[in-house]
Amino acid sequence: MLTIARLFGKSPFAPLQSHMGKVASCIEKLTKILEALSKGETDKIERLVEDLSQLEHEADLTKNDIRNHLPKSLFMPIDRSHFLEILSLQDSIADQAEDAGITLTLRTLDGLDLFQEDLSAFFQKCSEVFWDTKRIIEEIDELLESSFGGIEAEKVKTMIEETAFKEHLAQKQKYKILKKLYSQGEALSTPAFFHWLRLIEDIDAIAQVSEKLANRIRMVLELK
Amino acid sequence: MEVETLLKFITLAIGFYMAWNIGANDVSNAMGTSVGSGALTLRRAVIIAAILEFSGAFFVGGHVSETIQKELIDVSLFVSDPQTLIFGMCGALLGTGIWLQLASYFRLPVSTTHAIIGAIVGFGVLSLGWAGIQWGMIGSIAISWVLSPLLSGFISYFIFSILQRKILYALNPTLATKRFIPLLLFFVFGSFALSLIFNGFGRFDLTLTVPQAILTSIAFGGIASGVGLLTVRRIPTPKTSLKPASQSLPFSVISLEKAIKHLRRVRTGSIDENHAKITQLLEEMHGLKREMRKKTSFPERTSEYLLVEKSFGYMQIISACFVAFAHGANDVANAIAPIATVLDAIKNGVVTQAHAIPSWLLIFGGVGIVIGLATWGWRVIETIGRKITELTPTRGFSAEFGAAITIIFASKLGLPISTTHCLVGAVLGVGFARGIRALNLRIVKEIALSWVITLPASALMSILCYYLLRLILA
Repeated sequence: MLTIARLFGKSPFAPLQSHMGKVASCIEKLTKILEALSKGETDKIERLVEDLSQLEHEADLTKNDIRNHLPKSLFMPIDRSHFLEILSLQDSIADQAEDAGITLTLRTLDGLDLFQEDLSAFFQKCSEVFWDTKRIIEEIDELLESSFGGIEAEKVKTMIEETAFKEHLAQKQKYKILKKLYSQGEALSTPAFFHWLRLIEDIDAIAQVSEKLANRIRMVLELK
Repeated sequence: MEVETLLKFITLAIGFYMAWNIGANDVSNAMGTSVGSGALTLRRAVIIAAILEFSGAFFVGGHVSETIQKELIDVSLFVSDPQTLIFGMCGALLGTGIWLQLASYFRLPVSTTHAIIGAIVGFGVLSLGWAGIQWGMIGSIAISWVLSPLLSGFISYFIFSILQRKILYALNPTLATKRFIPLLLFFVFGSFALSLIFNGFGRFDLTLTVPQAILTSIAFGGIASGVGLLTVRRIPTPKTSLKPASQSLPFSVISLEKAIKHLRRVRTGSIDENHAKITQLLEEMHGLKREMRKKTSFPERTSEYLLVEKSFGYMQIISACFVAFAHGANDVANAIAPIATVLDAIKNGVVTQAHAIPSWLLIFGGVGIVIGLATWGWRVIETIGRKITELTPTRGFSAEFGAAITIIFASKLGLPISTTHCLVGAVLGVGFARGIRALNLRIVKEIALSWVITLPASALMSILCYYLLRLILA
């Protein structure tokens, strides 16, 4: 009869973390794309972006799978709506990474020599925010163990605050590159100018969504 | 006479089968989690379960058995016709056995207790009419079926919440565990002793006055707590978190945050000058807090939670023992109460109200449970243990203690309740306190459904078996 065994549902937290793993592989791919860009290996970019799209699609499938196995009758220690929101934010990070990759395939990026360093620094800051957030998601296991409170929650809270601070640094970097773009953009053609603008927005979104995700985790903590 | 011997044999055989079934299927509820969490090996779990199930059945099993035997239907109405009672009880046992087989085939979470009550009432209504049933008793049993899962859920929720506050949310969980376990042991053993000895202790002629009972429980709890105190001393405490360091301590940051929170409350209640002053203070404190937080490292605590769970492994073994004991006490009745009635009626030719359950029958039931455990139950324990690894020791302890104390209490009151449903209620209680990753609430619906189905179904089965037995043997 095993009634007790059937009382325990399938925990969605491990799939959530594996989804985060897929999202992380998207970001890794994007990092490679930007490396290729800086090395001038433009012929490689097309193929790498295809890989990135494939990875994003896989992340989508995992996300749908998690949603499909989340019946209303499943009771979790965090709110169902919070859980779904965390999942969808996580997934939109992958979407943003794909967008940035695709933006790079729209046309060749003119004026790279002008903004190369700022772009790398900016992307560096944005991806740092993401890796921080990923580390927070990895803490979920311990949070479940401590029932979302105590020293573990304090630790996660500190991590979230650090993430928010890093996002602030990324913003600063963004203003720097934008300022340069507006002051020295006359050398660029109009399409090239807007291409740059779009790329910056796409990369910036990665940092912003990551920080938003980190702050969503704060909502489930049991802080005194 | 020959028919009666045959009936005696049939009753004993079916009763034994029922006891076997209880041992094979339900004991796993108690021991599964301890095996799953690694606190007990399978062999030890089976041995402990066997001892405690047997002693539960033998020492406290009589109360519930007497309820099922005498207080469901008005047995005195059978004085002129003991044969009907014999066939009826025999049919009820057989019907219950068949229904349980069917239910497990359809994977319904039915309870042996509900089935046997339904069967006896079914045959009672058939032979005596509505007037022959003790509806008052049936009513209180029905209420206890609803209340017992709720009560065990409530107790488990309460206990797990305390564990959260005192241990999981503490800044030094290991130290908190060491301080808290002796207290918990006192409470656990004290309340267990009290629930056992109030109102007389089972088969022993032991009646204590209320103050005596309370004092005995306190003494019992005190001894357990003392043993616990000596044991937890051996757990090493990581000192890192309390060592004064150049950086600020985690708890000073938290205290500061609390102060800020309180100051905010003061600000909302104040006006003019005070308001401005407090606002300024708050700003300063915010700045200080930010500085301190930057310098504070909240160290990796994963290993410490592991240590907490490890220490609670022992507590979980204790609570599992209580569940096994309570289970034996409540469920042995399902198998032996009908046998007692039949044997009594056969032996005396009339139905007597006063006869208590004979000791050998309690032993018979206990042995049946133990054999069920030894031949099949250990497999189920293994399966359960593998499936519910999520019930870690802190969670398992909370759930099992809540269930055990409820079941023992009900057993002493002579109320036949479903141990499985109590445990389900208890696990849900822990879940509602944010203790468990994922709970399948659909099972609650299934349980409610199985209540509705089991009573008429097993009643019908018992009536069918009654006619069948009459047809063949009389």
